[in-house]
Amino acid sequence: MKKAASTKKPFFNRELSWLEFNQRVLDEASNPDVPLLERLKFLAITASNLAEFFMVRVGGLYLLQQHRIAKRDPSGLTPRKRLKAVSDRAHSMVAEQYRLYNEVLETGLSRAGIVRVAPSAMTNEQKVSAERFFLNEIVPVVTPMAVYEDQVFPLLVNVRMNLIVRLAPERAGMSERFAVIPLVGGLPRFVSMPSNDEWSFALIEDVAGMFIDRLFPGETVLECTPFIITRNADLEVRDEFAQDLLSEMEDILRARAKSDTVRLEAGQGMSRSAQAFLKRVLGISSEQVYELGGPPALNDFMQIALRDGFDRLRYETWLPQHSPQIDQQAGMFENIADRNILLHHPYESFDPVLRLIQEAAEDPHVLAIKQILYRTSSRSPVVAALTRAARNGKHVAVIVELKARFDEARNIDWARRMEEAGVQVIYGVRGFKTHAKLCLIVRKEPAKGIERYVHFGTGNYNEATARLYTDISFLTCDPDLGTAAAAFFNAITGYSQPVQYARLYAAPIAMRARLLELIEGEMVRARQGQKSRIRAKVNSLVDPDIINALYRASDAGVRIELIVRGMCCLMPGVKGLSEKISVVSIIDRFLEHSRIFCFSAGGDDTVLISSADWMPRNLDRRCELMVEINDAAAKARLIEILDSGLNDTVKGKWLQPDGMYLPAAPGKLRKGRRSQQGLYESACRAIDRQIQAQRTVFKPHRPS
Amino acid sequence: MKKKKTIPIEADGHSVRLVAAIDIGATSVRMLIAGIDEGSGDIRRIDSLHQAVDLGRDAFTRGYIRKETTERCVEILRSFQEIMAEYRITEAKDIKAVATSAVREAVNREAFLDRLYIATGIDVEDIDEAEVTRYVYLAVKPVLDVTPGLSRGTVLLTEVGGGSTEFLVIRRGQVVFAHTYRLGAVRIRELLDDVNAPVARIPDILENEIHNSIERIQHSVSLRSKPKMLAVGGDIRFAAQRIMRGWDGSGVAEIKLSDLDKLCRKILAMSQDEIVRKFGLTYQEAETLGPALLSYARLAGAMRLEKISVASTSLRDGLVVDLASDAWSNEFSAQVLQSARKLAKQYDEDIEHAEHVTRLALQLFRALKDEHRLHERYELILRVAGLLHDIGAFISAGGHHKHSMYLIQNSEIFGLGARERNLIAQVARYHRRSEPKQTHPDYMALDRESRIAVAKLSAILRVADALDRSHACNVGAMKVLLEPGQVSLVVPDERDLTIEELGLQQKGQMFERVYGLRIIMVPGDVI
Repeated sequence: MKKAASTKKPFFNRELSWLEFNQRVLDEASNPDVPLLERLKFLAITASNLAEFFMVRVGGLYLLQQHRIAKRDPSGLTPRKRLKAVSDRAHSMVAEQYRLYNEVLETGLSRAGIVRVAPSAMTNEQKVSAERFFLNEIVPVVTPMAVYEDQVFPLLVNVRMNLIVRLAPERAGMSERFAVIPLVGGLPRFVSMPSNDEWSFALIEDVAGMFIDRLFPGETVLECTPFIITRNADLEVRDEFAQDLLSEMEDILRARAKSDTVRLEAGQGMSRSAQAFLKRVLGISSEQVYELGGPPALNDFMQIALRDGFDRLRYETWLPQHSPQIDQQAGMFENIADRNILLHHPYESFDPVLRLIQEAAEDPHVLAIKQILYRTSSRSPVVAALTRAARNGKHVAVIVELKARFDEARNIDWARRMEEAGVQVIYGVRGFKTHAKLCLIVRKEPAKGIERYVHFGTGNYNEATARLYTDISFLTCDPDLGTAAAAFFNAITGYSQPVQYARLYAAPIAMRARLLELIEGEMVRARQGQKSRIRAKVNSLVDPDIINALYRASDAGVRIELIVRGMCCLMPGVKGLSEKISVVSIIDRFLEHSRIFCFSAGGDDTVLISSADWMPRNLDRRCELMVEINDAAAKARLIEILDSGLNDTVKGKWLQPDGMYLPAAPGKLRKGRRSQQGLYESACRAIDRQIQAQRTVFKPHRPS
Repeated sequence: MKKKKTIPIEADGHSVRLVAAIDIGATSVRMLIAGIDEGSGDIRRIDSLHQAVDLGRDAFTRGYIRKETTERCVEILRSFQEIMAEYRITEAKDIKAVATSAVREAVNREAFLDRLYIATGIDVEDIDEAEVTRYVYLAVKPVLDVTPGLSRGTVLLTEVGGGSTEFLVIRRGQVVFAHTYRLGAVRIRELLDDVNAPVARIPDILENEIHNSIERIQHSVSLRSKPKMLAVGGDIRFAAQRIMRGWDGSGVAEIKLSDLDKLCRKILAMSQDEIVRKFGLTYQEAETLGPALLSYARLAGAMRLEKISVASTSLRDGLVVDLASDAWSNEFSAQVLQSARKLAKQYDEDIEHAEHVTRLALQLFRALKDEHRLHERYELILRVAGLLHDIGAFISAGGHHKHSMYLIQNSEIFGLGARERNLIAQVARYHRRSEPKQTHPDYMALDRESRIAVAKLSAILRVADALDRSHACNVGAMKVLLEPGQVSLVVPDERDLTIEELGLQQKGQMFERVYGLRIIMVPGDVI
């Protein structure tokens, strides 16, 4: 790393690393081995990811630049340089999105019976249908606004499609005029068309464009082109995702209620004059303009990907399996008292977790339920169960973490209803987003006294995402962990000062220190010639302290294998710096989300699960939890999960010293291993084996 | 699925009683929720909470507790009540709250405790050093019993608190010495802040206190073999957790003095902000952590020990043990009596007489249970008074009961607080001569219940003392018969009991007035 170190710091820039992550998602969309609608889904994800990225990060960079704050990031780049690099990379990515859509996906969909009808290709019948739609559905809800350069430009909704209409000059010698028509939220993006194909549709901007002159009687419409502007996200959201940028400019932010445009997506064929006009009124530079090669807002195409029918164009369904650790006939308390239970979602069903909370609500021995809810909804069965528990006279305390501000949060209907039922609702912890996933049930059992049942998770209590995100649930009544969980609640609800407990580590108090300690422990072992190894799975690896510690460990000879789905600022495999470190990223049908860490600890592995990524925001600014798993069977399974990811030669991409991601080098690993498939199949096998085993047990009928 | 273990839904005879123990200390207010198995008596810690307060700084530097601090304590107790409510702990009998040195030393102690009571309904008792020692002993006893290496030999139990430092010397499970000096971590902090380079120049006063204490220990108990040091308290617990990574707080952790020294130096060199940030402690804890550890380390050093055992038990565990047992345990009583005997010996008391009188008094106390209707705890008060009633004779024979009184008031007896010692002193004082009068200030300073108890107990002690007037232990076996209007003491007609009979006639008068019963001695068969 001699060369690398002399010129710049040994970190990848996080924005560029994030863009590489989005590229890997785009690679899945490009992958011919992936079913068509899944590819469309991946494409839609890249589009919505990019929009969020521009809102929360690029916006912050522009502000830094405008205010001439030239502080370098850990990779050594100034905001100006970062913006330039991001813009270059994003432009080429957008070009690739449209190349893929136009050249591959649209034609593929067409062949499969999902046909987009362009205005020029419409039959008469389709034209009549389009006109009817325009007159009945569009005209009543849209409002064209005349816009002028010297007047205040209307505030357009962030990341929503608008049309710009260029009108011929009133009289010769005068200049062209412009109008903007926001396509309001209620309108569908895809307008079904009569046809012989399975499903034909026209895009709403096309339908609008066909008849737009009806809105401008007596005028000559020269052009009608869709566009989208992306603005800086509001402060709350930026606070969450771009804290590192924010801390330097809080005053600036307060002074700006309405944020600036950070990106203009210009629809295909937008004229130079229209584009120039928008640039002027929005006050943006050419670097911020993205000329689209096809329909804007590709994220809308998720609707097509999820449309009913067409299952032949999707992955076969992988239903969450029952866990063989759980006796379906027995209650959850009984199950947990019997053994510690580790669930791997979505291969295994999330139902046991819901069932635990539901049973707790009705159980006469339960005294209290304490739970952290991070972004949930009124339909959530967890909310329903907690409300019922409070009505049943249990002490129920819920810490809810909402995107909205405090006052708005209180007005959220379900939260208020919980309060009315007697739930003690705590709207977050001041200064920290509560991101830990924890449910604690206190039960007074006749024979044993107080028993605590705890659920530790790496994902939210959200039954919908539990079907899409890979996450770990650990259910236990281990008294030590119960005590620790109770203490954690006492601390975050302000009943007690934080206390440190063995095996449970909370950010921002103890987690970072413990992680560094564990990494150092491996380093010392390596120096002393003992076995040493670190395996870890996170979604993002950004934290400079952790990365430096990993570099030092690598230098000492520790073998370090990381699974990092998203951003990774660590440079692996650099000579003299990180030779012993490898980083693999897995993008597959489920979103990799679990955080699992394994330190060899001289042979007796220390295995932990956590709600937190290795990012400064998670380790310093959020309330997160990391729990050490002692149960031998659970440890073994977690290590299996890690190893499965580390050997994925189908969906795994290895990060290179130059920041690129490549498939596994031939020969290094066995070909054809797809981690998610392997895990799903083993979940199926496990439950099948158990059913088999039960069948072969003969149960004679005996007179009772 | 493997074998099925089901949770019994029906109670199998006994249940678990949940209790709360609260301790208002110099730097924090702490609460322990524990479960007491009513069948086996086993105790399990369930929940521990603590909040930082500035009581120590208020009391030790200003001398009184400020209003803000008082209200902060109210707020904390109220929040603790919410946690108690979660566990359905509502009855006063399941809650024990005490305040230690900081509150005890504040001039506005009464107003403070009243405010807490008015605001929360929690009756907080301010306890003195001896009571603290007693609870710490109660807490540590189970640990000593099960820890090899501590159950035998001599153990020096130490707790450096915010306001004071406690010592107990325990030999084979028996307390042989107890001492408290008023130099806690809050005060040491001030001493350290007064001098520069605190670690290099440990303040003399700290060294002096430590040496004095060790001298006193050595003076009263011969330390033939090196004792083991068992340290308890929040600060040393923290240190043990840092040093012994992964210690879960159960049992006893053994740390090396060299490690403690190292940690201590590191912490004393850190700013309070650094300590708070690095260790996640409160500012109050950060302030006293270094001084407390220094104190432990110096003590161990002065005793030439290389290792320190640390137990995570606390005063609050002792409070729970106390809640679990309605009366003072036999074991505890034995410790107290042991300590009283030592004191008696120091003052050259006729120990045979004292023991004999005590035995007779005890017999009377038990036989007259329905008459005096005193709580079992008074039994121990009476016994100690019996053992010590004549120690004043060491000063001078004339008015020796009065000398006994102040000697008892001002001596350390293991496990007994000033309140109890005063009761004992009064009982001893009235074992002869004047009965309690309104002109006796010490007596009148007692509350009504205590005055009645003193009268009832000293009446019994007088009778018992009369029964050994000759100091010859002539009344061996005795039967106590409760008859209408009188109590007959049946004694064998073997020895000459003239002196005793005469004594009873004189000294029984108080008994007759207090109990409304004549007391007579009749010869007869005892068995």
